[in-house]
Amino acid sequence: MSDVTAPVAAAALRPGAWGFRLSVAFCAAGVVVLAASVAAVLVRGVGVWGNNIPHVWGFDLIGYAWWIGIANAASLFAAILVLRRHGLRTAVNRFAEAAALAAILAAAFYPILHLGRAELFLWTLPYPSYTGLWPQFGSPLVWDFWGIMSHVVVTSLFWFIGLIPDLATMRDAAATRGRIGAARAYGLLALGWRGSVAHWHRHQAAYRLVAAMVLPLLLWAQTVVALEFATTLVPGWHQARLPLHVVVTGLPSGLGVVLALAAVLRHALSLQRFVDREDMNLLAQLTATAGLVAALAYAHELLVGFAEEDPTTRAALSARVLGPGAPAYWGAVALSAALPQLLWSGWARRRTLVLVAVGTLAAAGVWLDRWSLVVDGLLRDHLVGIGPAYSPSLAEWGLLGGTLALFALVLLLFGRLVPAVSMYETRHEESEAEMEEEER
Amino acid sequence: MSHPPPFGQMAEFAEADALTEAVRAARAAGWRHLEAYSPYPIPEAAEALGVSAAPVGYIALAAGAFGAALAAGTAWYISVHLYPVNVGGRPLNAWPTFMPTTYLVAILWACAAALIGMLALNGLPRLSHPAFFARGFHRASADRFFLLLSSDDPLYEPEGTAQFLRGLSPLRVSEVRSA
Repeated sequence: MSDVTAPVAAAALRPGAWGFRLSVAFCAAGVVVLAASVAAVLVRGVGVWGNNIPHVWGFDLIGYAWWIGIANAASLFAAILVLRRHGLRTAVNRFAEAAALAAILAAAFYPILHLGRAELFLWTLPYPSYTGLWPQFGSPLVWDFWGIMSHVVVTSLFWFIGLIPDLATMRDAAATRGRIGAARAYGLLALGWRGSVAHWHRHQAAYRLVAAMVLPLLLWAQTVVALEFATTLVPGWHQARLPLHVVVTGLPSGLGVVLALAAVLRHALSLQRFVDREDMNLLAQLTATAGLVAALAYAHELLVGFAEEDPTTRAALSARVLGPGAPAYWGAVALSAALPQLLWSGWARRRTLVLVAVGTLAAAGVWLDRWSLVVDGLLRDHLVGIGPAYSPSLAEWGLLGGTLALFALVLLLFGRLVPAVSMYETRHEESEAEMEEEER
Repeated sequence: MSHPPPFGQMAEFAEADALTEAVRAARAAGWRHLEAYSPYPIPEAAEALGVSAAPVGYIALAAGAFGAALAAGTAWYISVHLYPVNVGGRPLNAWPTFMPTTYLVAILWACAAALIGMLALNGLPRLSHPAFFARGFHRASADRFFLLLSSDDPLYEPEGTAQFLRGLSPLRVSEVRSA
């Protein structure tokens, strides 16, 4: 029996093609834009943004909630695959985890920068300082700090621990090809993994245990973001259903991004054998289902908002849904809930371009929903008049574009330098399939 | 020049089942110091070796409980003693509002402890291990299965051990140096 996963290791050790180099150069240029946008905020202050009163939150919170939604749905998906021992996980859970990690990196920029004086973010940590100031644990902003911290640490550990055995494979594959430098680098990261059966046993126990604990953590991280809105007295935000709404409508973004990534990687790295048509079908149908669930959340929002709420809240919702906020609201419904329904058709699921387009647009639709919530949620307040309107500045667009480039760059490098699919799980699965065939 | 004593004898197999059978045979013959290597998890072989993963769970549970106590205690001490803020006469010890951070920090500690504890129980990270001296061992991370009988075991004797391993019909048996 030769190693079935040799092509995966080879893909990571092959020098990059021109397409890859071009993409990296393009994304690196985007990261330069990100650096400039961040520098502008740090040097000049949040005045370079379009934020004002009442729009104290703009792109900063839209971007944060959006990226966290992508990260959540992607790691939720990866964790569920690990727990279900589903065949699909061998192929897509590795880059679903990587996408989650990259999305959290992108998300982490926003809450720090939106503080205004970013260097003082330390004040959210409980530590004895000369000011005698301590964080208030009753505040959702403090919960949010711990939420994003736990999310970053746990997701990175989860991804890295799953990767260790494959790094050991990369070490040995590089050494066999005489690439001593690469073998040393992979070897250090593999932490001396030698494939001991006893080690595997504990590794799998820890991996599945963490997958089980990631689920409640994710739901909570997104809930806390929504609670920051729900605890204000703004009529459009002060709603008990907001946490559920934000968690559920976030699902199409993460699944859409994983779907688009799977379609791209399958072709770019010739992984058709490891991510087969069945896998793509299932992933596409999951995205369509997430769209349906999001549609239910939108319907619930309209039903509760118009039938049960008081006149002030009704006026706020009406401005979002039927007034000046209508393009963003219905754009979100169309892109993140309606468009994914296209994926029920087998014809659409077989077209890579359709999958990439629907996945990306679903994520864009969720961004529009966050805009509708953060910006258009303030169209009507308790006062008669409210304004001026919010309009994002160049520095904010630079931040959005820059974090997108950072996300893409991190994923490009992951796709190149570490095995894009989990090699040990693929081996395991193939050996089981062989055994089943022998029994027949 | 004196040679250090060998680390043990290594047998190489092509199939996972052969390795599991070999582990069972070695355990039945009374071997206690042995290690098996494979490119993917084999729960049956781990069972035959008598390995339990339960300590990983206990470590996670203990760390989670400690993290929860730490977070809740910190929130309580800060809110009641270090920086009390009177918000409309609400009680200082508003413990329900401390629960979100308690919950998050408990999961953070449990996850980190499960993963770091797993590495510690496995004796990782380490820079080197004599098993890597074995011939063809680079395939243990790809498509081959290995069984090592350690020279620490009282049953170990160079000739007899090699003969025992050959009886398990491996692809090859080789002596592994310890340094």
